[in-house]
Amino acid sequence: MNDMAAARPNGAPGAAAAPAIELNDLTMRFGVGTASTVLAVDRVSFSLAPGEFVSLIGPSGCGKTTILNLLTGLLAEEPEGDVRVLGKPPSAGNPDIAYMLARDSLLPWRSALGNAAFGMEVRGVPKKERERHALELLKEVGLGDFADKYPKALSHGMRQRCALARTFALDSPVLLMDEPFGALDAQTKLTLEDVLMRLWSAHRKTVVFVTHDLAEAIALSDRVVVMSARPGRMIADVPIDLPRPRSVRKLQSDHRFHEYYAHLWGLLEQGVGDE
Amino acid sequence: MNKTFRLGLGHAVFIVAFVAVWELASRAGMLDPTFFGRPSGIVAYLWNGFVVERNLWNDLFYTILAATIAFWAGSIAAVLVGLVFAMLPRVHKACEPYLTLLNAMPRIALAPLFLLWFGLGVGSKIAVAISLVFFIVLSSTVAGIKGVNSDHLVLSRALGAKPRDIFFKVTLPSAVPVIFSGLRLGLVYSLLGVVAAELLAAEHGLGQVLAYLQSTFDMNGVMALLFLLAFLGLSITVAMNWIERRLLVWQ
Repeated sequence: MNDMAAARPNGAPGAAAAPAIELNDLTMRFGVGTASTVLAVDRVSFSLAPGEFVSLIGPSGCGKTTILNLLTGLLAEEPEGDVRVLGKPPSAGNPDIAYMLARDSLLPWRSALGNAAFGMEVRGVPKKERERHALELLKEVGLGDFADKYPKALSHGMRQRCALARTFALDSPVLLMDEPFGALDAQTKLTLEDVLMRLWSAHRKTVVFVTHDLAEAIALSDRVVVMSARPGRMIADVPIDLPRPRSVRKLQSDHRFHEYYAHLWGLLEQGVGDE
Repeated sequence: MNKTFRLGLGHAVFIVAFVAVWELASRAGMLDPTFFGRPSGIVAYLWNGFVVERNLWNDLFYTILAATIAFWAGSIAAVLVGLVFAMLPRVHKACEPYLTLLNAMPRIALAPLFLLWFGLGVGSKIAVAISLVFFIVLSSTVAGIKGVNSDHLVLSRALGAKPRDIFFKVTLPSAVPVIFSGLRLGLVYSLLGVVAAELLAAEHGLGQVLAYLQSTFDMNGVMALLFLLAFLGLSITVAMNWIERRLLVWQ
């Protein structure tokens, strides 16, 4: 596997650029000062160059969602260690960050267009401008003809496409995605992963992608960070050296894809074994 | 289309049969008209009251007037109080035991008190109806606001929405369907409250007419008014459903 890590023709711009996201010895404890203090994340360090796509994988409860929530600035607890997003400590409502959840969270009383524009709306983008941009993004995700439809009329896959449009419409340099395709069936998931790859190639955001789906992590990412069961420690930081642009569907028959899968699976097993 | 037509036809056949059996049983002496009235007598009473003497229009007007005023006043107050509770949870907590106590009171039993305070006119009817409408709409407003999807809140906060935006763009719209079902119920109950108060004592109103007819054993009149009130309640429900469908297309 080592030779795979050696060259990264596709990855992020040179190491000279300041990292977009930086975690230095991050430790998170919940319930400090009470009898039931929980160590959720234990000395995790990694960083993302601007435009890099990094997945966090690990068993449930390993703290990957905690790390994501920390970056959004929504956590009440203070972390130990140093965390920076574009050089600044995390803060709630940071316009540099767009966030996406497993459930589409579309507002049922808004049309697809209204939903795609929602993020821009709360960030104060003028009505005309945000509607034009939202429609652009809806077209990019293949929902151009469904702009005036309400979420109840859309399938699961279409709803998640709409959520993707809402996320990318924000034009935030950093995207945090918490298992965005976790609730979809296998076929729809592959399609949506390809949509995400297209969007990401076109817009080049820095993405932290939390998932427990190994194949998804390999197919999408420049690097995969593997974490152990609670307390979440970093087991490995594996560069994925597969050519881009990638088609998630075509990768399924690529032998290197399966080698990465076996390698990461071994690492994950090791992490669960601690328990 | 065919299906709805057949369904409508079924209802029509049933109603005609029901009325016919009633009328025939009454004429054959199997149903005592002194206790049950008879359809021909009921129609005659309504014809007389609305077309010949036209005295029922006035009473109908007063009942609808009182119910409408009570519905609007009670609902608006309830929605406003509900919003205040949503914004100030501490106030809600402080008020809750008193509201629960008031709501546990059988409101109809308050009618004599309201008659004493507000007189025989529409004021006392409105007061009784408001005491019903207010609590129904308040509890649905509070439930609707509490029932907001937490994913929507997390996402909005993460995207940088301010508390004001979250309230007006997420919490409030998500509460509208629940508030609306409270309003529908509130409208039916405002009619109920008004009629119940009129039964006790009133200058005008269908309830007062009903009480008079009962005391004089005019069963055709009693039945006629009961059907009239049921029809009124039904029209309200149908109208509210129609408004809801237009207002909440997204549901």
